Amino acid sequence: MDWSALRVSLWLGTGTILVLLPLGIWFGRVLAYRHFRGKLLVEALVTIPLILPPTVLGFYLLVTFGARSPLGRAFQAVIGHPLPFSFEGLLFASAIANIPFVVQPIQRGFEAISPDVRDAAACCGLSPWQRFLRIELPLAWPSVLTAAILTFAHTLGEFGVVLMVGGNLPGETRTLSIAIYDRMQAFDDRSAGIMAATLLVVATITLMVTTILSRQVNSRRG
Amino acid sequence: MGEHGLAVSLRQDGPIPLDVEFSCDPGHVLAIFGPSGSGKTTILRAISGLARPAQARVQAGAETWTDTDAGVFRPPHQRAVGFVFQEYALFPHLTALGNILTALGHRPGPERRTRAEELLDAVHLGKQGSKRPHELSGGERQRVALARALAREPAVLLLDEPFAAVDRAVRRRLQSEIDSLRRTLHVPLILVTHDFDDVARLATHVLMLEHGRSVGYGSLSTLTSRPDQSWLHEAVGPGSVFEAAVSRIDVDRGLVTLAFDGGTLIAPARQLTAATTVRVRVPARDVILATSAPTGLSLHNVLPGIVSAIHGDTTRDAVIVQMTVGRILLLAEVTRDAIRKLDIKVGDHLHALIKSVSIELLVPDANSFDDTGQRTT
Amino acid sequence: MRSHRTCVHVLLAIVLCLAWPAQSTAQKPPTIAAAANLNFVLKEVANAFAAARGTRVDLVFGASGTLTRQIRDGAPFELFLSADEDFPNQLNAAGLTRDAGAVYAIGRLVVFAPKGSPLTVDERLEGLARLVKAGGVSRFAIANPAVAPYGEAAEAVLRKRGVWDAIRPRLVLGDTIAQAAQFATTGNAVGGLIAYSLVVAPDFGDRGTYAVIPDADYPPLRQRMVLLKRASPTATQFYQYVLSDAARAMFRKYGYAVPQ
Repeated sequence: MDWSALRVSLWLGTGTILVLLPLGIWFGRVLAYRHFRGKLLVEALVTIPLILPPTVLGFYLLVTFGARSPLGRAFQAVIGHPLPFSFEGLLFASAIANIPFVVQPIQRGFEAISPDVRDAAACCGLSPWQRFLRIELPLAWPSVLTAAILTFAHTLGEFGVVLMVGGNLPGETRTLSIAIYDRMQAFDDRSAGIMAATLLVVATITLMVTTILSRQVNSRRG
Repeated sequence: MGEHGLAVSLRQDGPIPLDVEFSCDPGHVLAIFGPSGSGKTTILRAISGLARPAQARVQAGAETWTDTDAGVFRPPHQRAVGFVFQEYALFPHLTALGNILTALGHRPGPERRTRAEELLDAVHLGKQGSKRPHELSGGERQRVALARALAREPAVLLLDEPFAAVDRAVRRRLQSEIDSLRRTLHVPLILVTHDFDDVARLATHVLMLEHGRSVGYGSLSTLTSRPDQSWLHEAVGPGSVFEAAVSRIDVDRGLVTLAFDGGTLIAPARQLTAATTVRVRVPARDVILATSAPTGLSLHNVLPGIVSAIHGDTTRDAVIVQMTVGRILLLAEVTRDAIRKLDIKVGDHLHALIKSVSIELLVPDANSFDDTGQRTT
Repeated sequence: MRSHRTCVHVLLAIVLCLAWPAQSTAQKPPTIAAAANLNFVLKEVANAFAAARGTRVDLVFGASGTLTRQIRDGAPFELFLSADEDFPNQLNAAGLTRDAGAVYAIGRLVVFAPKGSPLTVDERLEGLARLVKAGGVSRFAIANPAVAPYGEAAEAVLRKRGVWDAIRPRLVLGDTIAQAAQFATTGNAVGGLIAYSLVVAPDFGDRGTYAVIPDADYPPLRQRMVLLKRASPTATQFYQYVLSDAARAMFRKYGYAVPQ
């Protein structure tokens, strides 16, 4: 078991959630409640990372932010290293790849709140911000949690982008899924097996938790 | 319009066309009556600020809530409006008490809980405070919604089809509660309904809507006693509604004497207590006209009056005769042939004959029942 | 809701206890990029280095071509041990290295057949030619010639023996020579042309039979290493250690030839 790889994977999962959840809540709510021209296009754009091959994402990231690009050189000048081949680069790539996993469930969650309930909140004297904090967010919370868990699990399994953009740097961009690949190439099937089993367990737990959560949502509605 | 009354004027072309103007004084109940899609709910939403018609003016007492000409619009959360939604729109994640507390933000912190509990008691749900909406019955949810609307200390109370989703027994109780509410609360109460029974029992005034336009507006007794309100007659059959006071109860004979402004009526006794005010509806088809007071009939009610209007209702192939009896107006539905035979004209002195069993007493259930069905009084 | 909060808190606590995996200060051991064929030998060298000098290095293995591209894109490697000379020379020409570096070993190819395979191994690939002709080759593994020098060498051997055209549609290409070895050993292929250093490694174990391909049959796999411009003193020390007698003995043990 490569503990540092586990650590990197956990941090990548958590970091992606921390970055994407606030964005997802804001954006999911906008998509749920506002109607504007081009909304369909925006919703389609949000879905794109789902069908985008990870290698395409990795490719564009390298081309845009690699050391040979102007942006990459600028990054290097300011931060000291380019965006790819760093944990931050991985986080960036992971955030983009997970946008649909975050935005879509949250959007559904907000949509599921009856418009009458939101109107009633206004008539109870709650300002728009109070409505959001006390009525909308608590009611949409299970979907937010689902989004977080889905994102976390998906991030743990990320491989293509990490392979292309990460550089397999131990303790920094060597995630658990990369480590499995690594161990297999070193004919260390035992380690690979342990780590693969770990990821499988995590995936199963994730599924169970999301199922329980969605049941809770249904029972609460009554 | 009184000092604390509501004055509304709305105009829009779409999505639902609307063109109405009305007002409602404190303590009065304005029923907005009409078929689905006529714009009733839109009016309520415009009053509360949830909808913004192209041209609108909503004045609540001294406060201008909406005035499109002057560019004034106060968002809903800044209006003291109590809105009971058709499906109650309770917050599913909060308890009954929590729902009511949400509307008490304008009160200082320590007072809120006490006040919420008071309101819960007032709607007879004192022990259900910690239940979630999905654990309550339809009638209980409605009462929580009502309590929540009242918690706001509203300047106007809006009820959207409040009895649509409850059964008859619960409906009677709720009607009675709302009736007592309007007497104590002293704010304008706007009630949207498609059921005339609600109108008859609760309204003091009616606004009839058809495709967003008003086809009748006025006090209930005035409107119901007009012979030409074909929309109303189609809905419920012609018949005037007016208020009368119980002057005497004769238990032996099983009769009650009702005194109205212009005479008395005898009706079969219900469970009434003396000196209560009841609403009386006299269906026009149960009123017989006579040129002189008859004798030898089983009739208790023979009322002298003057014919004030005659209206031929071609759709029903009948004629509605309006009679002034004292200060109230009665309607009688007779055939054309009868008009000819008796040579009835405006100004004639006739007698109106009413069978006592035909008189509908719209009693807002003077006895209260608690949730277990036990009488409490 | 309470149970949710606890779950979230526990998870956050676990994660936050572990250090943020970002690039930190000089305390971090230098990252060395190495061709996949060095998977076993270089680890032994690195362990000996750590024992002797008391400092560690981090090893990242991959295909030489892939690693070269990553270096050009800014990957923070400090030393690059390639499987050929072309790739390091490219980096040198691009001004990314300190100097032209040094040849540290000369690699060897073997033809390998896992246990139970119909392939008979011999240095002239006659067994392979027979099997191909008989239509008995399901799959044959080599490294991807585009990114792995060992793959290029494998192609050269197959062409020389006149088997390339017939076997080409049956080839399965490994991303690296190590992945090619994976394919060759797991029974998905009848065998493959893989690195000598991999089959003699103790961890590789006894998975099949192999025959060493004569050096004359393919351009020599002269493996050159270069220090990148950002190389730290530790990386430089490791560079020198690779060229030391102790390290060279280890290379020989794994089947490499070492230049004088």
